[in-house]
Parts: sequence; C-alpha cells; structure tokens
Amino acid sequence: MKSLKTLVIAAALSLGAMGAGHAQAPAAAPAAAPAATTTATPAAADAAASTDAAAPAGDAAYTPLKPVAGVGQPIDAGIDFQPQVSPVGEQAYWFNHALLLPVITFISLLVLGLLLWVIFRYRAAANPVPSKTTHNTFIEVIWTAIPVLILAVIAVPSIRLLAQQYEPPSKDALTIKVTGYQWYWGYAYPDQGIGEYVSKMLNEEQAKAAGEPYLLAVDNRLVVPVGQQVKLIITGADVIHSFAVPALWTKMDAVPGRANETTFTVNKPGVYYGQCSELCGVDHAYMPIAVEAVPMEQWKAWVRSKGGNPDPEAAEPAAAAAVPAGPVPAVSTTAPAQTPATAPGATPAASPATTN
Amino acid sequence: MNSDAIRSKNLRTAGLAALLAAAMVGLGFAAVPLYNLFCRVTGFGGTTQRYDPVAAAEQPKVLSDTISVRFDANVSPKLPWKFHPERPTDTVSIGARDMAIFIAENNSPHPVTGTATFNVTPDQAGKYFTKIQCFCFTQQTLQPGEQIRMPVLFFVDPKIKDDVDARDIQEITLSYTFYPVDEGKKAS
Amino acid sequence: MTDIAATAPVHGHDHAHDDHDHKPGFFVRWFMSTNHKDIGTLYLIFAIVAGIIGGVLSGMMRLELAEPGIQYLHGWAQFFDASAGDTQAKHFWNVMISAHGLIMIFFMVMPAMIGGFGNWFVPLMIGAPDMAFPRMNNISYWLTTVAFVMLVASMFYPGGSGLGAGTGWTLYAPLSTTGSVGPAVDMAIFSVHLAGAASILGAINFITTIFNMRAPGMTLHKMPLFVWSILVTAFLLLLSLPVLAAAITMLLTDRNFGTTFYDATGGGDPVLYQHLFWFFGHPEVYIMILPGFGIVSQVISTFSRKPVFGYLGMAYAMVAIGVVGFIVWAHHMFTVGMSVNLKMYFTAATMVIAVPTGIKIFSWIATMWGGSLSFKTPMVWSLGFIFMFTVGGVTGVVLANGGVDTNLHDTYYVVAHFHYVLSLGAVFSLFAGFYYWYPKMSGRMYSETLGQLHFWIFFVGVNLMFFPQHFLGQQGMPRRYPDYPEAFAYWHHISSIGYAVMAVGMLFFFVNLVYSMVAGKKAADNPWGEGATTLEWTLSSPPPFHQFNELPRIA
Repeated sequence: MKSLKTLVIAAALSLGAMGAGHAQAPAAAPAAAPAATTTATPAAADAAASTDAAAPAGDAAYTPLKPVAGVGQPIDAGIDFQPQVSPVGEQAYWFNHALLLPVITFISLLVLGLLLWVIFRYRAAANPVPSKTTHNTFIEVIWTAIPVLILAVIAVPSIRLLAQQYEPPSKDALTIKVTGYQWYWGYAYPDQGIGEYVSKMLNEEQAKAAGEPYLLAVDNRLVVPVGQQVKLIITGADVIHSFAVPALWTKMDAVPGRANETTFTVNKPGVYYGQCSELCGVDHAYMPIAVEAVPMEQWKAWVRSKGGNPDPEAAEPAAAAAVPAGPVPAVSTTAPAQTPATAPGATPAASPATTN
Repeated sequence: MNSDAIRSKNLRTAGLAALLAAAMVGLGFAAVPLYNLFCRVTGFGGTTQRYDPVAAAEQPKVLSDTISVRFDANVSPKLPWKFHPERPTDTVSIGARDMAIFIAENNSPHPVTGTATFNVTPDQAGKYFTKIQCFCFTQQTLQPGEQIRMPVLFFVDPKIKDDVDARDIQEITLSYTFYPVDEGKKAS
Repeated sequence: MTDIAATAPVHGHDHAHDDHDHKPGFFVRWFMSTNHKDIGTLYLIFAIVAGIIGGVLSGMMRLELAEPGIQYLHGWAQFFDASAGDTQAKHFWNVMISAHGLIMIFFMVMPAMIGGFGNWFVPLMIGAPDMAFPRMNNISYWLTTVAFVMLVASMFYPGGSGLGAGTGWTLYAPLSTTGSVGPAVDMAIFSVHLAGAASILGAINFITTIFNMRAPGMTLHKMPLFVWSILVTAFLLLLSLPVLAAAITMLLTDRNFGTTFYDATGGGDPVLYQHLFWFFGHPEVYIMILPGFGIVSQVISTFSRKPVFGYLGMAYAMVAIGVVGFIVWAHHMFTVGMSVNLKMYFTAATMVIAVPTGIKIFSWIATMWGGSLSFKTPMVWSLGFIFMFTVGGVTGVVLANGGVDTNLHDTYYVVAHFHYVLSLGAVFSLFAGFYYWYPKMSGRMYSETLGQLHFWIFFVGVNLMFFPQHFLGQQGMPRRYPDYPEAFAYWHHISSIGYAVMAVGMLFFFVNLVYSMVAGKKAADNPWGEGATTLEWTLSSPPPFHQFNELPRIA
C-alpha cells in the first residue's frame, strides 16, 4: 500500500517537475502562481507530519500542466478526430473508423463507380438504342434489403455505444457542477467544498505568454484526476450553452432551469480543450473549456490549493455542508463561516492528515 | 365536369386541407400541456412525481437497497440570493422518506421574491423520484438579510428496482434553480 | 397532343371575352398576376435575388473565416451603424449566420422549388389550365415578398447586442426571447410567420390542383414524378408549418406579453421549443429536397431516353421519406439531455430514412442503365446531384448515431453534411431544373458551353468549399464561430478558396442568363427529343398564356 502510494507520489512529482520545467513564464499563468504559494504551507506541514518523508518541500504540489501539441486540441490541417483519451471516446472512435467510415466510403465509391460506368457504357454514342426496361422486382428487393442489413449491422454497435455512454455513474464518481454563463464557465466541486470559480478565456497575449493556443486557453481550468470517473452536473444560467470537449467525446447542453448530467473518465494526464457548442450570443466563440487531467495526488494538491478537501469521505459527511452554490464566487466566502460549528474537524487544512 | 362542379370540389378539398393545417396549429399549441403531461407521466426530462399521502392507498415498501441523492442548487444571476443545500448528498433507503433542507438567503438590501424550478438527473430517474412536499413554484419573499430553510420531503419509489434502465442508478441528483419573480410575468 | 397545344391559343382567342386570353398590361400582369406561369416566373426571379443576397452573406462569412482573427466584421458592422464596436461586430456575425440560413431556406430554395418550378410545371404536367386558386397563388407570392423585406429590414433594427437578429435560423429560446431584446428578432419571427403562411396557402393550392384538376386519364399513378414530389412536399408543408407557426407565436408572446412557455422562470421549458421547432425542421429538410428528387427524376429520364425505373417505388419512396420525416426530429437535439431509450429510438428511426433514399439513388442509376445518355447541362447537374447527395446522405447516417453525434453535434461536420444535401443537393437539382425548363419557360436556348462551364466550376468550387469542413468538424471546430484557433486555419482557408471558385462558376450562370435573353436561339417546343415525354413539351415554347383550354386526354 505504502509502496504504491510512494510510486504515485513519485510519478506525480516527476510530472510536476516536468511541468515546472516547462513553465518558462510563471507570470503568464495568473492562476498558477498564487495557487502554488497558497498550497505550500499546508502541504509542507502535511509532509512534516506524515511519515512519508519521501516528499520534501512541495508534496505533490500542483503545477498547471502544459498542453501538448496534437493532444486535446486540433492540429494544423488535421483531418481526423482528436486522439481519444476516454473509454467511451475510444469505443466511439473505433466504431467510426472500423465500421462507419468504411461503410460510407464504400457506398459513396459504389455510387460513383456505377455512375461512371453508366456514363461510359450507356452514352448515346455507345448505346444509341435505349432499352425499355422499367421494372425488375428482384433488383428492387435487393437494393431495399441490403441497405436494411447494413443499417442493422451499424445499429448494433451504435446502440452499444449509447448504452456505454449512459451507464449510470458510480456514486463514487467525482461530481463537478458546471454552469454556463454569457460568456464563461463556472465550475464547482460540491463534495470537495470548492465553491464555484469562474473560467474565462485568456486573451491573445496571455495565451501566447502561457504557451497555450489562443481561443482555447482559459485562466482557471477544470481539473480532474486521471482514471477517476467524473460526473458533470451541467446547467445554464442565462441562455443555452453546450459543454463540449472533443478529446473526451463529451458534449452536453447547459439548459437554464434544468440540470443535465454526463460522465467521462480520462485515461491520460493532459490538457484537453473544448469550446461552447450552442449559439449563446455575441461571445459564443469566446468561452472555451479546458479540462486538465492530472494524477490523483496532484489533483488532491490542486484541491487543497483551492481551499477544498480532497477526501470528503474520510471527514464527516456533514463536512461538505459548506458548499456554496451561488453563481457569484465572492459570496461563497461567507459559507465556511458556518462550517466549524457543524463539523469542526473538516476544515480543509486538517483533512490531509486524517486521510493518509 | 363543368366549371361549377370543379369549383365546389376544389373548395371542398381546400377546406379539408385548411382544416388539417388548422388542426396542426392547434396541435402546436396543445403541445405545451401535452408535453407537460408527457413529462409527468414518463419522467421525461427528469420531471419528478408527486405523492399525496392522503390519497395513496398504501405506503411504499422500504427496501434494504440504498441510493445516494445529491442536492444541487442554482440561483439565476438576476436574483441576489445565496441558495444552497444543507448537505450536498444523502444516502437513503429506497422507499424510505427523507428530508433535505435547502437554505436561501437574501443578500440584497431589498425584499426580493423568488420562485424555483427543479428537475432530477439522470433522466430515467424522474419517474421514480417522488416528492411529498416541496417548495417548487411557490413564491418566496425574503427580507434583506433574511435566511430561510426550505424542506423537501421525498422518497425514491421502490419500482425503480424493476426498471432495467433505472435500477443501476447509484445517485440521483435533485436540482433546483431559483428565479426572481418578474412583476410583469406574475400575471401569466 | 401536340395538336391540342397548337390549337389551344386559337381556341382561347375565340372566347377571349370569357377567357381573358389576351395578356393584361404590365402592372396587372406582374403585380396582380393570377397566371401560374407568371407567378412561377416571379418566384424564380425572387429566388434568384434572394439567392444572391444569401450568397453574398455566405461570401462575407467565408472571407472573414479565410484567416484566423477578425478582419472585416468591424467594418461591416459600421456600415450599418457607424458607432459599432467590438460587441456589435461580433453580433453582426450572428446576424449573418441567421440571415444566411433563413434566406437560403425560406426565400431561395423553397420559393424556387415549390413557388417557381411547382407553379410553372405542376399544372402543365397534369394538363390543367391553371392552379386551382389563382388569386390565392398571387397572395402567397406577395406574402413571401413582404416576409423577405421584413427579414432584410430586421437587419437594420436593434436585436440585443447589435443591429439585427443574431439568434441563428433556429431561433432557440431563451436566446431568442430574454437573450435578444429589440424589434429585430420580432421582425425575423414575423417574417417566418408570413413566409410560413404563404407556404401553407401554396400547399393547399397544390394539393387541390393535383387532386382535382388532372386532365382526363391522368391518374395519380400516371403523374410525372415531379408532380408526385410536389404533392408529398405540399403535405409536409401543410402538416409541419402550422406547428412552427404555433411555436414561434409562443416565442413572440414570451418576448412581448410575459408568457413563459419556454421560460424556466415560470415553469416553461426551453427544450419544448426545440421539440416543436424540429418537428417542423426535419420535414422542412425534405420539403427542400423532395422537389429536387422530382426534377432529377424527370431530367434523368429525359436524357436517358428511357422511362423512370421503378416508378411506383420512386413515388412511394418519397411518401415514405415524408412520413418517416415526421418521427425523427429529436436527432437534431441529441445533446440536449435525453434519456438513453429516446436516443436509441431516434437513432434507429433516423437510419431508416436511408432505405427509401437508397431506393431513389439506385433507381436513378437503373433508369440510366441501358439508356442512351446525352450529357446536356441539366443532365450533368443531375449526375452531380446524385453523387453529391449520396455523400451528404452517408454523412447523415454517421450523424444519425446518437453516440457519434455526441462529438459531431454542432460542429462543421454537420455544416458539411447539410450543405452537401442542400447546397450541393437541392441547389444542384435547382440548376438542373432551371436549365431543363429554361427553354420552355423563356422560349430561348441557353448556351450549352456556358452551362457546362457553370457546372464544372461550381462543382469544383463547392466541393473544395464543403469537403474540408468534414475535417474541421472531426477536429472539433464548432459551428457559428467568427474566429477560430490557429490550427483550424488551413482547412478554413481552403474552404474560402472554394467559395471563390464557386463564385466564378456563378458568373457563368449570370452571363448565360443574359446571353440567352439577348442572343439565345429560339427554342423548339421540345428541345430534348423523344426522352421528354411529359405534357409541358407538347406545348409551344414559351407556352401560351392560357393552355389546355381543351383538356388533353392521357392514354
């Protein structure tokens, strides 16, 4: 158990180090810098208290990942789907490439071939006297039945894919509340006690400085642990938006007045970009989405840096009563004030000690 | 056929066609109540069920299986309220009554009236999520700084375990959104 | 039958007092027209004008999208409002996408297909003297015109964050209700109302005409496939447009009278609007393409010198497409949050449409099989139609899969798909019909060379424009974006070049139009030879102002 944990931490650390190495312009990532400093204190205290001396100064300190070209974002002159990093995405990608694409290519080429053949063979010069055939029951039955069969063959994996997408999420899934606003996204982690924070697009200079693609880069990402099922509860605050991340094969409308849910599990660490996919007004094109998947330990560090508790299970259930749900992030600060009274042991800083 | 005969035949055909069009207009408007009815019957779109303890013939059976219920609260950006559930989740026995508390607080210096809409996810759980008492669609007026605790009394219908599409659901989310009551829209 | 055609005007002249065979004066003829051919001509001219406006809008959009970043929007927005800033500029983008969609659907394809060719040739093909209700026909036309003026005018009125309605042609609530304040959206909605009312009146007219005014012997099962296609289309209009009318009326009351049909605030549901809209919207797709099917059937048969293969199968395939078209609407809303069972149903139902569509494609090929093909301009457009519609159709099968649509929904893949079936499908069939019937309508031949040039350049252009959009969609490029990340630049650039090529092709169309009017050879009654067997070819070119005063008998 312990060795496993050490391994994870080591992996997280090396990743973190890599991330740090890549972060040539710290000033560029506005969220990153303050996040790192705030984490330092509780994390250091935690490290000292814990027997795991393997983690010096920045025990799995969270450092924002750098996006990798060609992963989680479009590539220049690319023609294919973005590489899929979720089980559903892999299944869907397989379905498209192993079945749909060959079938539609074949049908298109068949029709083209037949057209070219009749154009060549039955041109007036080659066939001056037209036949008078207008019926052939056999062939009509054939070209009705074969498409039916093809569709039946397509339908089986298609239905299976749908069933997989709709598999009810485990109750241990990490639940994240996603709210679409004109024109930014709000994310909250109710179980971790992270009140809603706002995710807005970086402008061109900021994106360039952060080394991220403009129109996809955001200031505060949606951070999730790798390998953990994530359940999104999605709603819209004003008009309909749509939360979409192509690399995760995820798209769900954010409809005002109603909650939708969708799930995904990310297989690989990385930054996966998406864009709002339902016309929502003037800045529809300027409210991108960035999902950052990091190893569990890193994610926990990130949660702590946000002032949340990464292990609500260990604390008393009532601990999470402090969930602020208002759309205005600033308001949420009043909520924790009530918390100590109901669940004294559940303050964010104390939790790491209780969990490990 | 003489022209008069054609004319009356034409008028008859056109009349029937016009009637068909009018019927479709009617259907378009009737879609509003029909859609609501459809949602209530099928739980479509996460519409929940109502339970009247007086009218109901028998109490639902309480199963040993449990299910997690998540409480989600939203406020329209136009409403200066804070609104959140007392607890984010609760684990209940299927069939057993449970009570959840939602807390609303008026942050503005004026009295404000709000009203809430709600639904549950996943979609197919709507048919089984049954509310005994709630604050949906009732108008709440909060004085400046006033905080109220609003209870929701509900149970999860044991029939959920007989539905192949819904029996694997491990967590149902009950989501509320509070909107300001627009004076102009009060009349409707 | 040729005899009948020749005697008809003479016959008419004898009874000039009853029949008004003399052509009325210019104003009465073109502004108070009750003649189906004149109204058809008006509709065609209207559609060309609207097509130019809609096409210029798409050209502006392709120009803006040719490079990443925003280059032109500010200037364009300032053309309408000198004080326009960044917000107004981006709003203008949304106005363009909305107007392009609405114009091309309601004021280009529909008027051309149904109003233009339908009016011109349904009475001719069934041997009727005119439409059943000539004056209602006139009302339909002018309602369409007013609707169009209203839509164009809306671009000059405030619509929330700028001038014009920026809601998308789908007018989704709540963006179109609480999300866009100002008269522009009301005007756009009202414009759709008027266009819808015009189409419903037109549909009633066509249904009555086709049911009651067929010449003796012209049974339903002897009607040319183009008439069948218009009949099915008229029923689709009659059943779907009233639902749209109801849906957008509720939008108007939500906007102006405080109702909350689609507003969660008062217990309404914005998703209900989408259900109602697409209950209309999906049949609408077939409304736009079915008459094209009819045109292509006539053209293929004519230039293969062979009757249509599997006539009954062709006719009932259209009926089947029409019927199934009413029960698949929610595939436009796969990401709105629906239960898995519903999604499975709509996936399966949608795929079923591929079967009758496949029957049509294969029957066209079988019509040519064994024929004696000549490749006149209408024929090459029809051949292009068959292939391009197939490409658009198979991507439709991909999108029908709810699980796959999760990724492709609202991306450029969808844009590519529906432009393949409409911009390359419906529009190709429109050009096929235009060249096919132009000699009949005008009495003059077009230039075959210019027609062929038009086809080939247009064909290369639109494919260059729309095929790369599949790639953009698969890469994740969302619809309705004025700007995009650098990585999408390559294919967007190619796509914009495709537009330019297409535009050059259109030049040949207009040159051809002018050429034929000024110097076109006089057209024979039947310029296409023995393959053209329908009744309109028995009349003179152009046909007499009043035809079939003595009804033809169909053996």
